[in-house]
Amino acid sequence: MQQRRDEIIAKRAKLAELKRQRELRQREFSASRQSIDATELVQPTPSRADSRRELESIISALVGESRPGSTAPGSPAGGKGSRPTSVISAGQLSSDNAEISSPTSNTPAPPVGAIQRLSIGPLTTVYETLSSPKPEILTYSKGIQTSEPWSPPKQRSFGSDSEGDESPTRAKTPRAAKRLSRRERERDEELRQNLRREIEEELKTLQQLGSDNMATASISQQSFPARTLTNEELNAVTSSEDFLDFVERSSKVIERALEQEYDILADYALGGMNGLDDDDDGYGTTGTKKGRRIKEIAQFWDERWSKKRMISDLGFSTKFPELVLASYTKNPSAPHDPDGLIQVWNLHMHDRPEYMFHAQSDILTAKFSPFHPNLIIGGAYSGQVLLWDTRAKSAPVQKTPLTGSGHTHPVYSLDIVGTQNANNIISCSTDGVVCGWTVDMLSQPQEYLELANPPPAKTEDMAPTCIAFPHADPTYFLAGTEEGAIYPCHRYDRAGAKAGVDARLAYRGHAAPVMSLDFHPARGMLDLGDLVLSASVDWSVKLWKVRPPAAAA
Amino acid sequence: MTQNAPDETLSLLTRLSQKPGVQSTLVLSRETGAIVRTSGLISNSSSVNPNSTLPAALDNAPEGYSNGRKEGGIHSAEDVARMVWSFINAAGSLVEGLDREDEVKLLRLRTKKNELVIVPDSKFLLVVIHDTPPA
Repeated sequence: MQQRRDEIIAKRAKLAELKRQRELRQREFSASRQSIDATELVQPTPSRADSRRELESIISALVGESRPGSTAPGSPAGGKGSRPTSVISAGQLSSDNAEISSPTSNTPAPPVGAIQRLSIGPLTTVYETLSSPKPEILTYSKGIQTSEPWSPPKQRSFGSDSEGDESPTRAKTPRAAKRLSRRERERDEELRQNLRREIEEELKTLQQLGSDNMATASISQQSFPARTLTNEELNAVTSSEDFLDFVERSSKVIERALEQEYDILADYALGGMNGLDDDDDGYGTTGTKKGRRIKEIAQFWDERWSKKRMISDLGFSTKFPELVLASYTKNPSAPHDPDGLIQVWNLHMHDRPEYMFHAQSDILTAKFSPFHPNLIIGGAYSGQVLLWDTRAKSAPVQKTPLTGSGHTHPVYSLDIVGTQNANNIISCSTDGVVCGWTVDMLSQPQEYLELANPPPAKTEDMAPTCIAFPHADPTYFLAGTEEGAIYPCHRYDRAGAKAGVDARLAYRGHAAPVMSLDFHPARGMLDLGDLVLSASVDWSVKLWKVRPPAAAA
Repeated sequence: MTQNAPDETLSLLTRLSQKPGVQSTLVLSRETGAIVRTSGLISNSSSVNPNSTLPAALDNAPEGYSNGRKEGGIHSAEDVARMVWSFINAAGSLVEGLDREDEVKLLRLRTKKNELVIVPDSKFLLVVIHDTPPA
């Protein structure tokens, strides 16, 4: 009993001494606050665990009554459990510190009040000074997870080209770049040294042999095996975006090159006798009887997309005279293909369109914008006016709304009027609505005009199927209707006329819907800008001379 | 999209190689001359076989062209690749020698029997050998 009390006193003294030393250290290190290195927590040492068990046994021997106190470290340890273990882990360096620090974690345990000291922040800094294990813990780096993806071992034995092989292919796939681990860097170093050695050897052989032919032969022999890529590299290369872009561009170039009918090396003196045998001309004796025939020089047809689609509109590009666009309606036997299609053909490439654009509903009219070399504007059966950009992908970049503010009937005709800086898209649909839009914002019409049949008519509904603007005047246009009459219309209210159909005049000549109108371009010495061609379903094309808009009927 | 890319390139290259008059096509890497895709030419090593865009043609090749392989009829893909690569390097050094900032955009080599069209890019080369028109 006495012995036991002595023991207890001795141990209490020891613990008090340790507590004092701990407080000393706390004051020293409270100034320096460093973050806890998480890795340190992960690595408790078994030796410390032993001593901890020893200490716990001491404590339990000491303080049998305050058993609940001894479990208390469990609860703060539950919340701040990292600290005791980190104290222990930091303590691994010097046994003295460890022995001091580990009991210190336990000293608050017996008295219930001291448990709260565990919550004091400075306790965490006790082990910060012992943070020299940091350089050791670097073995925990992230890169080691993956196996070696990139350079298969057989590549290493190759000559100077193998390095060149690896670097372009590596650069081509971002996946490979992420997997660079230290092991790979080491291998890179090895490879570079190998290559340096080999290049030196090559140079030596060059000097020894002393003739270009031999050198090139040896180099080519050395690098010949490196020509073939392994399957993984091959897949990586061919799946890259670069490769796809390259193939698209260069295959177009080659198709254009293959297309030529004119042989630039032709020697007319040599081949002169054969020229007379050409029989597809029609200019020979048989030709004169029938008159000159139209000769077909090209047919544009794409295997995949052009089948069974009707061509609804054709247009040439104002900027590139060899580009012609064709707009198509839907393919009834391919319901999953997009209904509307626009293909831009190059006159020099007959079976592959330069560009292809699609839309969700049949496209009834399309043209290149004369003021923007990259834009194509089209009208759809759904009533939408669509805008495509040749620099963008094949979907429309802008669409007009399908709500009441736009068109709700098919847009059969549109035109772009104005000047380079101030231009509008004017579109007309079969319910008589004519809308004006700006190219920047197709979400809302700038103008909205309803055309109605002028009074001496059975119904007020007018169904314009085509409109045309004179080249000089963007405020006045002609509208051809389904009945066959052509009416002049004004865009805006003026002194002489209201906006809409000009009731004083109508050009009635056709007996069936007028499908197309075109004004004479106002170029050259003579101003023929008042001549209009109209084409109609009644198999006739008529030429009109229209009255100027300001004149009264 | 990445899955479409190889299919699209495959279909484009196949179309090209199936055009009338085209004898062979070849896609090489610009830096090394390594063969990326080839069609119409036979290659001796088995690892190059998967490169071919027309595996059926390759199957027939050993039967039909094995005699011609070394006799100058049909060349192996490696030979052609190597020769084209050194040729375009020489052309590139010529152009750079004439004008430092210039680069080769297109090479067309017309021979008596056929024409070689080479389209270089910063990273790849597309080479097409086709028959000259009879005129």
